[in-house]
Amino acid sequence: MTQMVSLDKIQPQQSVGQPKIEIKNLNFYYGETKALKNISLQLPERSVTAFIGPSGCGKSTLLRVLNRIYELYPKQRAEGEVLVDGKNILDRDQDLNLLRTKVGMVFQKPTPFPMSIYENIAFGVRLYEQVSKSEMDERVEAALRRAALWNEVKDKLHAGGTSLSGGQQQRLCIARTVAVKPEIILLDEPASALDPLSTAKIEELIDELRADYTIVIVTHNMQQAARVSRQTAFMYLGELIEFDDTAKIFTSPQEKRTQDYVTGRFG
Amino acid sequence: MTLAIAERVESRRDKVVRHFALTDTIFHWACRSAAVLVLIILGGVFFSLVSGSWAALSKFGPAFLTTDRWSPVTQTFGALAPIYGTLITSGIAILIAVPVGIGIAVFLTELCPRPLRRPIAIAVELLAGIPSIIYGIWGLFVFAPFLQATLQPFLIEVFANVPVLNNVFAGPPYGIGILTSSLILAIMILPFIASITKDVFDTVPGVLKESAYGIGCTTWEVVRRIVIPHTRVGIMGGVMLALGRALGETMAVTFVIGNSHRLSASIIAPGTTISATIANEFTEADADIYVSSLMSLGLILFFITFIILAVARYMLLRMSRQAGA
Repeated sequence: MTQMVSLDKIQPQQSVGQPKIEIKNLNFYYGETKALKNISLQLPERSVTAFIGPSGCGKSTLLRVLNRIYELYPKQRAEGEVLVDGKNILDRDQDLNLLRTKVGMVFQKPTPFPMSIYENIAFGVRLYEQVSKSEMDERVEAALRRAALWNEVKDKLHAGGTSLSGGQQQRLCIARTVAVKPEIILLDEPASALDPLSTAKIEELIDELRADYTIVIVTHNMQQAARVSRQTAFMYLGELIEFDDTAKIFTSPQEKRTQDYVTGRFG
Repeated sequence: MTLAIAERVESRRDKVVRHFALTDTIFHWACRSAAVLVLIILGGVFFSLVSGSWAALSKFGPAFLTTDRWSPVTQTFGALAPIYGTLITSGIAILIAVPVGIGIAVFLTELCPRPLRRPIAIAVELLAGIPSIIYGIWGLFVFAPFLQATLQPFLIEVFANVPVLNNVFAGPPYGIGILTSSLILAIMILPFIASITKDVFDTVPGVLKESAYGIGCTTWEVVRRIVIPHTRVGIMGGVMLALGRALGETMAVTFVIGNSHRLSASIIAPGTTISATIANEFTEADADIYVSSLMSLGLILFFITFIILAVARYMLLRMSRQAGA
């Protein structure tokens, strides 16, 4: 149990880019309940950051602040600052639709829209761009290739999105997110509902995407965090316990609670 | 000694078990006959409609459905005018009530501030609870004169020089007529459409909406491209249910439709529906063939609503299966 993570899989430490996202003194409330306590964190550009921690620790909540999707629900509010490229997205004047085209999100359960595979991707593109039919075909193909799905679906682009298998659906959702050209991609346990083979494909995909996007992933699977991320944040009961390079978090964490968690002693 | 006690216990138990078996059987049969009773009533209604309408249907044949001559004096009857009136009033009512009902549902599920949600939902349900006689009397004494003074002259004037439409909106504004009935019917079925649509909208998974908002959709786009396509079968079911109700609505329509058996291209003109004709004329139907003709009307309505309701049930069933899967 102590050796849950095979060390050779951890990426070597590299120098990281400028902070893309800067979270400063963030507090989050579900009604009266405080779910995030004074979080401060800097996420570098073009790099994968993992949020880990036991259920209810606030890692998904933190992710949902980054595109303000929580605002769909009344009584949820965030206080503090979240700077994306230096601009506070929690400002009242931040346009939410614009923010969400810049910060894409993929959920735990695949959520294909009730339309064809082609339309699932074209739909998002069409919202903000005027593109010709041939250009749209290219965009759809590029997005599907990016999500390593093209070869599996190229002959049935006009079949319903729900006709795909779970793993394919999830890659379709990633393709859809990529197609609107975001800068940041949020992944909320993107593989926890999938079989190991599909999970491997998703992880490969994340590995490829990190060259172009700032990726934040929430995961329950610690090997997955170790495999795909460069930085890891360990959260517990709404607090950020430790944030460091993934290799450090998994081999020589500073905090005892982090060590207990990554070695499987609690959580 | 102990053996005797054991025997006594056993015989007691046997008695209780037999008693249980008896009550259970009675209970079983009571429930079953309650359910069978429905089928018997339905079959009985159908049978008496068929036998009652036999005289008229065999005398007039298929022409009963295709002629609009309804003359108690010469004893010739054709059901075209009431069939047409029934379908057209329900059709217009659906055309008006569906967009408004969906609008209410969208507002309640997507846009409404939480404190307002319950009061509005309750108001919608109260609207469904108003007895139809109240709609009838309100329609005749308040709504029809209002339309006679405002909407009808306006429509007649606006479309006076537009081909086709000048026939649709032609004639003197009586106040009562096809259009007035359609509007009243629209108000009456609105709560059905609104509350069923709201219920099926609530079955859309939250993450699906989140992911649509997540790529930058506005509320309008989420509703049009995600929520409505996802629930279209259920919405259709709700609409069919409302249509079934509109087709059979009697009291309110009888008050305001004008009860005229003349077919008119104008929707402002008076007309009649199947149920309004039956309600109006059963007291004066003296000849057997007259009564039989009214029975035939009932049979036709029975068929139309039965088919519509069956389709509605089927669609709602498919919807709930889809939601369960």
